[in-house]
Amino acid sequence: MSMIKYIVKRILIAIPVLIGVMLIIFLMLNVVPGDPITLMMREHIKPELIERMRVQMGLDDPVMVRFVNYMKGAIRGDFGISYKLNRNVTDLIITAFPHTVRLSLFAALIAWIIGIPSGIISAVKQNSLVDRFFMSFSLLGVSMPVFWAALMMQYVFAYKLKLLPVSGHDTWRHLLMPAIVLGWSSAGTIARLTRSSLLEIMKNDFVRTARAKGLKESIVVVGHALKNALLPVVTMMAIQVASLLSGAVITESVFGIPGVGRLAVNAIQNRDMPLLQGTVVFTTILIIGGNLIADLLYSFIDPRIRVE
Amino acid sequence: MRKSKLAFLLVAIAVITMAITGCGGKGENVGAPATGDNILRLVTNDEQTTCDVQKTTEYYTIPLNIFERLVETQTNLDGTSELVPGLAERWDISDDGLVYTFYLRKGVKFHNGEEFKADDVLYSFERMLKPETNALNQDFITAIKGAIDMMEGNADKLAGLEIVDDYTIKVTLESSFAPFLANIATPGVSIYNRKFTEEAGEQFGLLPEKTCGTGPFKLSKWELNSETQVDAFDGYWKGRPKLDGVNWKTVKDADTQRMMFENGELDEFDCDAAPSQISYFANSEKYKDWLKIGNRVGIYYYSINSNIKPFNDVRIRKAYQMAIDKQQLLDTLYDGRGLVQSGIMPPGLIGHNPDLPEIKHDPEKAKQLMAEAGYPDGFEMDICMVTDNTNILRLNEMVQAMLAKVGIKANIVQMDEASWYGVRAEGNLGSYTTSWSADFNDPDNFFYTFFAPQNTVKRSFNYANQDASDKVVQARGMTDSEKRVELYRELEKQIIQEDAAWVPLYLRQHIFVVNPRVQNYVVMWNGWTGNMYYNMYIDNTKAPK
Repeated sequence: MSMIKYIVKRILIAIPVLIGVMLIIFLMLNVVPGDPITLMMREHIKPELIERMRVQMGLDDPVMVRFVNYMKGAIRGDFGISYKLNRNVTDLIITAFPHTVRLSLFAALIAWIIGIPSGIISAVKQNSLVDRFFMSFSLLGVSMPVFWAALMMQYVFAYKLKLLPVSGHDTWRHLLMPAIVLGWSSAGTIARLTRSSLLEIMKNDFVRTARAKGLKESIVVVGHALKNALLPVVTMMAIQVASLLSGAVITESVFGIPGVGRLAVNAIQNRDMPLLQGTVVFTTILIIGGNLIADLLYSFIDPRIRVE
Repeated sequence: MRKSKLAFLLVAIAVITMAITGCGGKGENVGAPATGDNILRLVTNDEQTTCDVQKTTEYYTIPLNIFERLVETQTNLDGTSELVPGLAERWDISDDGLVYTFYLRKGVKFHNGEEFKADDVLYSFERMLKPETNALNQDFITAIKGAIDMMEGNADKLAGLEIVDDYTIKVTLESSFAPFLANIATPGVSIYNRKFTEEAGEQFGLLPEKTCGTGPFKLSKWELNSETQVDAFDGYWKGRPKLDGVNWKTVKDADTQRMMFENGELDEFDCDAAPSQISYFANSEKYKDWLKIGNRVGIYYYSINSNIKPFNDVRIRKAYQMAIDKQQLLDTLYDGRGLVQSGIMPPGLIGHNPDLPEIKHDPEKAKQLMAEAGYPDGFEMDICMVTDNTNILRLNEMVQAMLAKVGIKANIVQMDEASWYGVRAEGNLGSYTTSWSADFNDPDNFFYTFFAPQNTVKRSFNYANQDASDKVVQARGMTDSEKRVELYRELEKQIIQEDAAWVPLYLRQHIFVVNPRVQNYVVMWNGWTGNMYYNMYIDNTKAPK
């Protein structure tokens, strides 16, 4: 029962956060120069049409009137029609999201498969060559610009070696490079966190006790220490998944994946208010949800933790 | 591990596996889109927002191929163009230029099987003019009597379009309008089927199953931000196209596009995406014979905002024109592939004046004019551009260096696209460079677009010669074509050379690198990226090994 109360409380707190975020985005888009109509027309700008379209799209109403009208629809789940794409915003996000899910989960899997074992090995073989190698590899992942990594991978594996397609998203082979690009950065964080957390746990008395009882080192590390060391790592994994699911803008653009990230960038570039609000609300819900799941996972894994 | 936790873990792994390998975004299509070797594989960096061509001013490639017009602009093999019959087999024009009688083609089918008739023309034109449609291309038919009334909501019928019978219509203009035929040959005036389009409602043009025309291809797949495909229409009145279909992948990044092309994943690479690669392809043993070159009926220019000092002084505007070495820009940035221009009407456009005096590159004269205008030590100015455009940045940097030699300090100001267009529409943007390609082959498409009174403000020219602007409007109604061309040539000298209203640069060739398996490839007459693909076909025996 207390768990349910906790979840409800977190959801209720999230509502004013969402409204605040939507208001800020709305006001910001009204302050910056440029409007969707002149952008729609671009080089074929037609003065006689601009005013008429402003009236028909409601763009000549005062800002707060437009915001209130917008919120009335948003409360009912209607985020309006995209100015540029002429489609229902909710439908656009629902169509784009599976592409982002596939890429994100593939990237997360790669991150975990690489990150956790390398973090464990680095901790066990602390300060060895292996440790230094894995930590350098993870530092590279964290600090390398995503667009550069994406282009380098395309150049080497698709263009030169012809092992993988240059772009697209139809099969797992299309997703492999973008997933590695995204996963490498997440793997780096996971590896470093696993290493530091495990090193901390390994100093505890219960580990010394396990060794004193004559248990094999592998059982001491994996069977006893790791379970406790993974607590912060699992939290980080949940947050990373939420972040990935909100869309990897650069990776999606370079590899031609029609996900939520690309949708959001297009919305900003086109001053497409309904679409931008929709993607922002969606992303905010994911991030809030991800943090909530991380907290719940923590208590699920560790019986000592109670949410109150 | 406890059983509940194990179960949770197994379920999570199953979900992840299904998500990665399972379905996702296969896109909307009618039946199954065509596949195989006989599909032309193209790429676009910015796909259409809708196939309803009444609601877009830019995305014409798909409409060019799935819809048709009463009159068409045909590209000849030598790159020239002419107006030819389309859905109208022939037409008569009254002596006063006010009444056009179109005799429509019989037996033409829409993709839904309905026969094309006069009522469809009436429907298409009225739909475009009704305020609730929010159409963007109405200006192509506002010359028709009663069009303005419909646009303003004062009439619900187009007075100037009369259905004589199922295959004959009579169009009466408000006043004579010389470019009328050329206007209705633009993609914006495509003909829709009344029954299908009314049923499709707001979704017309957004989904393959909600899009229908008489063109040689029909929309078969559209996955937003990913892929679009049109398939051959078996019932096309001229005969089924030889291609089974045309497919476009949406890929924003130019380097990715190039890699895909060199990997054999695409049939065409548009060098406009990466002009710096022109010499690579032109000098490559493998690719040099793959180049397809078209002359753009268009012009590149730098704008001048006459409201921003010191450009209110014609001597400063002329100095700006003379300070730029256009040939050097062409040679350095575009492998010399183009032609320096000194006016507004490029070669290939009706009215082009081959004897127009040249605006020479003359830095000394430029400095002299600046001194006469009171700026012997130069002045500062802004060149405004959209961010994230390396090609334009390179051009601006070269021009910045040229201007510095005459004492003009040019600041390159970058802003995002929406801000750029917004500030420009207010009439406040500093100098910028862009280009214009002909929508239709008539000087009006250039003069009116830039120098009609309202347009000159919206494009931040603020051209102040009211008399010349008024003549630009009057020229539209002239029926004597020789006198009309004469007037446009005088206006060209007045506006561009005497008033120095902008800085004409050059026209650039439009170069495509095309896989040899593609036959009958001809660049569009006006150099557009989008093309009409009906006459093209694939011969896989000619594909590179």
